[in-house]
Amino acid sequence: MDSLFQDFAQANNTLNGYLLATTISPVPPHSDPARLYNFSRSANSYSIQTDLRYKLQYNPDIQLDRKEANAWLEVYTAFYSFVGTLLAAEETQNAGRAREADWARVYDGWKEVVNALLKGYQSSMFAVWTIPCLYTAGRYLRVFAIKADESIASQRDSGLAFGGIQEEDAFNPDSKHEKLEDAARQINRIFALCTSDRAPLEQSRKWALYYTATLLFKTYFKLNSISLCKVILRSLRAAADSDMPPLAAFPKAHQVSFKYYSAVIHFLEEDYVTAEALLTDAWEQCLRTTNGASKNLELILTYLIPTRLLTAHKLPSKALLAPYPRLAALFDPITSSIRAADLTAFNAAMEAGEEEFVKRRIYLTLERGRDIILRNVFRKVFIAGGFEGAKEANGGDGTPTAASGSATPLVRRTRVPVNEFAAALQLAGAEVGDGEGGVDGDEVECLIANAMYKNLMKGYIARERGIVVLSKAGAFPGTGV
Amino acid sequence: MSNTGGNTATSNQALVSDSKDASKPLQNQKPAAQLEEDDEFEDFTVEDWAKEEEVGAQGTNTHLWEESWDDDDTSDDFSVQLKEELKKMEAGRSR
Repeated sequence: MDSLFQDFAQANNTLNGYLLATTISPVPPHSDPARLYNFSRSANSYSIQTDLRYKLQYNPDIQLDRKEANAWLEVYTAFYSFVGTLLAAEETQNAGRAREADWARVYDGWKEVVNALLKGYQSSMFAVWTIPCLYTAGRYLRVFAIKADESIASQRDSGLAFGGIQEEDAFNPDSKHEKLEDAARQINRIFALCTSDRAPLEQSRKWALYYTATLLFKTYFKLNSISLCKVILRSLRAAADSDMPPLAAFPKAHQVSFKYYSAVIHFLEEDYVTAEALLTDAWEQCLRTTNGASKNLELILTYLIPTRLLTAHKLPSKALLAPYPRLAALFDPITSSIRAADLTAFNAAMEAGEEEFVKRRIYLTLERGRDIILRNVFRKVFIAGGFEGAKEANGGDGTPTAASGSATPLVRRTRVPVNEFAAALQLAGAEVGDGEGGVDGDEVECLIANAMYKNLMKGYIARERGIVVLSKAGAFPGTGV
Repeated sequence: MSNTGGNTATSNQALVSDSKDASKPLQNQKPAAQLEEDDEFEDFTVEDWAKEEEVGAQGTNTHLWEESWDDDDTSDDFSVQLKEELKKMEAGRSR
């Protein structure tokens, strides 16, 4: 108990919120790995109140007024009983009986700690420098809720697997995230506690808003309730309009995490322009690591790759993916099939990565890479068509030839028979067959018209003549021809 | 955080040691308060960092993105294939 309250005193005397937060952390500090054990053993549930009061109120190292000391007394009383449940669960788990560990009780115990903390803030007992305690509070609400839900699920599974009692009412099948849903509510209370703070900026709990928002995003993502994220974004925007410090004034860790999650939310709403700006920012601002790679950068890339494919038609280079073998394995087949205009390979790559793409919610966006492949197929036909002069030399039958040398400036052949596009689509593996060995001309024209509509190809279809007339100036915008 | 800026150095230290702890076995035991969520953005080991420590400060962002088409493959090959495919289509039609 001594080392814990030495840190508590030092944190109070130096107004160090991060040090203070370590005194209520479920993970003991590196310098004192046995802290939780010692704290638990240094008292018993009968003496804990007296012991804590002695540490908090009559401690010559700490000057707290009586009300504030009382508020902390409640926090550490709750923390004491929480530590008991945590150590018990850890012991059970480490004894090889992971299934019996009572994480639901650990979660409930932690919630009591959080309640005591919130009470302290609500009655304005805790100054703004202490808000890292709120980060710790929110972070472990999620951690223990997820563990609790997992252990409840595994207990349920084992009961069924071994033909145990199947009580219909024992478990509500709809709430396999019961604790996490509760955690979302509790973190939302922290969020509300911060948005509603009317204190001047320098003393405002609004400094905890972006961190808390990110915790909520993580929670809602896990719960598959993305729409609730938008509610949070809206209330942050409302706060920003009144008296909220600009995002750039927050610690980089808060900025980058927030930008990543709001980017993914915009990505899922198909607002790729905003998503790209946020992801690019997050990437640039991310903390550099010694080997140049990190899990967070990998996650940013996971969304930046499909986003840039749509917004700029750009593909990641080998150099970009090199530090991320998992991403390279996932995206290389996609990107090389797009470059090679090979629909068969693209379909195979989409199928091979389907599970992962769906899990990351990027499947539908990648699917739109198909448009780029078709653009590439049509572009190849255009390039293979050669130049106007060469057409004449070839008897004007419209078959593609290589460009022949000429003194006059060469103009590419811009009248291309629909047939050639049809043949190229067949080659690329597009499903344009009519089911009788021939080609479905309407389907081919539809794909061409689509590419034109999406501004991937400029020109028009002259149906009666069966040709496509392409623009002389940039038939394939942005691709150099 | 600007309002607690005076403590950045110590607070960073506290966080670093805290995170180290979470990644190392505690008394030969797996720390229980840890999650292995592979699709989740991780908490950074420090709260704040200077501009020079950012990824963007490396200035090597060229060559990271490439064009979405490939002009390298010989378009002659493609021309030949295309001709053959056209012939096949003609043949299919005259049948």
